[in-house]
Amino acid sequence: MLKIEHLTKHYGTFPALQDLSLEIPERQLHGFLGPNGAGKTTTMRILATLMTPTSGRASVDGVDVVRKPHEARKLIGYMPDFFGTYDNLTCREYLDFYGRCYRIGAKERQRMADQLLELIQLGDKRDTYVDSLSRGMKQRLCLARSLIHDPKLLILDEPASGMDPRARADMKGILRTLREMGKTVLISSHILPEMSELVDSLTILNRGRLVLSEDVKSLAARMSGNAPLEIRLAEGCGEEAVDAVVVCLKELPGVAEILQPEPYLLQVRLEGGDEQCMQMLREMTARGLPVTDFHRIPMNLEQVFMEVTQDE
Amino acid sequence: MSNPILAFSATRRMRSFRTILTVTAYAGMLLLIAILMLKGMFGTSVTIQSMQQGVRCYLILTAAQFGLLVLIGPAMTSGAIAGERERQTLELLLVTNTRSFRIASGKMLESYAMLALLIVSGMPAMCLTVVVGGVSFSQVLVSMLFLLAVAFGTVCVGVFASACCRTSVRSGVMSYRIIALIAVITALPFIFGYPRNITDVVYDSQQYAALTKDGALKMIHPLLYCNPGFGLVALLQDQTSLLSGGSLENIPGFGTATMVQRTQYQQWGRLLCTYLMMDRAGGQSIALISSGAIAVAGSVLMGIATFLIRPRRKRVIGD
Ligand SMILES: Nc1ncnc2c1ncn2[C@@H]1O[C@H](COP(=O)(O)OP(=O)(O)OP(=O)(O)O)[C@@H](O)[C@H]1O
Ligand SMILES: [Mg+2]
Repeated sequence: MLKIEHLTKHYGTFPALQDLSLEIPERQLHGFLGPNGAGKTTTMRILATLMTPTSGRASVDGVDVVRKPHEARKLIGYMPDFFGTYDNLTCREYLDFYGRCYRIGAKERQRMADQLLELIQLGDKRDTYVDSLSRGMKQRLCLARSLIHDPKLLILDEPASGMDPRARADMKGILRTLREMGKTVLISSHILPEMSELVDSLTILNRGRLVLSEDVKSLAARMSGNAPLEIRLAEGCGEEAVDAVVVCLKELPGVAEILQPEPYLLQVRLEGGDEQCMQMLREMTARGLPVTDFHRIPMNLEQVFMEVTQDE
Repeated sequence: MSNPILAFSATRRMRSFRTILTVTAYAGMLLLIAILMLKGMFGTSVTIQSMQQGVRCYLILTAAQFGLLVLIGPAMTSGAIAGERERQTLELLLVTNTRSFRIASGKMLESYAMLALLIVSGMPAMCLTVVVGGVSFSQVLVSMLFLLAVAFGTVCVGVFASACCRTSVRSGVMSYRIIALIAVITALPFIFGYPRNITDVVYDSQQYAALTKDGALKMIHPLLYCNPGFGLVALLQDQTSLLSGGSLENIPGFGTATMVQRTQYQQWGRLLCTYLMMDRAGGQSIALISSGAIAVAGSVLMGIATFLIRPRRKRVIGD
């Protein structure tokens, strides 16, 4: 669906983006992450035909965005990180205006505008002036605007910045609906926990270079394969009980390291797989140790992010 | 209206209170001038005095509109493109399938329609002079057409400047500068080319023709044809020639009887009137030619503006 090949962009001599290659299949929510200045907006602006790359190519559904920008625009819906709205225009007129800019017929425009306003839950605000909407509502309206011509690919640059938790949850719901409708979405954000819940795959950029691009499922599997086990003991069970647990653990095969970050919390790095895990649990229950919680630390995107964007 | 930029900009403008205020102030001011100048002359028979006063009023109204359009035009268009940049809405337009020419022309036509509305709103005041006498309705229409041409020019300059700049303020300043530059450059032949030594003895074109070597009327410098201000004076002089004997300055209240009493400005005005009288083409034609020049220059500027709005352009003034 979206294919980026060796995309490079220099601002003057400053390399904002270097040799980025990426492919996103259809019907995927793809997260685009990276620290400030990593080149996310630069990439998205190139894809949205607002900027030409220094070198490299990108195509959407086989249409080259550099050589055939006019055709590509029909396939792409773009929501920039910063945008404004017009005064003296109602929500419906706002959508209608952009619909006309995309040269959509009057009936179709009306149908789309109504549908989209329902989708973004602003149906009751259709005749309100855009100016009087809150920021989060404007952001949703701008999302609707980028959908008015029924594009195949959506490029969203930090669509949830400045939204309250509820609005962000709504936004997630809307994005999931869009995926069900068959859209491909490229979304950048700095809110990592939400991203890891939402997206199917993700790319992390650092200083204009790709440092990680992976399916979220395989990333999670890879990360949790060697993630430490966390064992919480009953609060106030006494030092002896804790020592007994440590002794028990040390006797077991595959235990490489035991940490005690809190008095009643142990972290165990385990070499080996599920077999060792099961044995450990059996052993501890058999000895009647005061274990209240036993789990693998789930994948933490933030940690991954920190690791791969570390600067040497 | 197939151009969405035109349709929606117009909708938004018409919904703003400032528009109502502008039109009211414009029409009201002209009406006030007309009523103050012509009071006591309605309902009486037409006399030579009333006709002269009517003509005077007509001249002032037309000149005032000309001045106002040159002032308002750039102010109104300065935000056409630069405002979209400031508001961060231009990119949202550029990613749609609307070409930059449609954006530029939509913005231009919308501002032009607003100026045209102002000109039309000035019609009642202009027509009062027809009632008093001295001016015919067709003359009012002709000057309205000329004003429409001038409005077109200012709007094109405004959109051009707006396409160059990052902010409306810069773009407004830039358009006034461009207009001043055009006015000065096209007036150069008059400033440097007029035969000053004979001005004080020349009263009309016949005398001038007698004084020139070959005894024939001369073409004035082509560059001067392109100056809208000269176009305006030529048009008004031509329209009022019946009452003034060919020169505006013969209308009481505009020229002065003796040369000694003339101020510097009146001296210049006289120079201009005589200069224009010498022309073979005649006042209406000069006005027509300067309208044409405005139209051509405006279109060229619009072309450049279109080029400047394209999405992938790198720099604008104010970066
Ligand atoms: N117009 C420009 N001229 C010069 N340098 C620029 C320009 N735009 C961006 N840059 C530089 O390019 C780099 C990448 O910027 P970009 O906006 O793509 O980052 P980003 O990943 O979107 O960051 P953020 O998370 O802060 O939005 C930055 O170092 C920035 O300073
Ligand atoms: Mg960014």
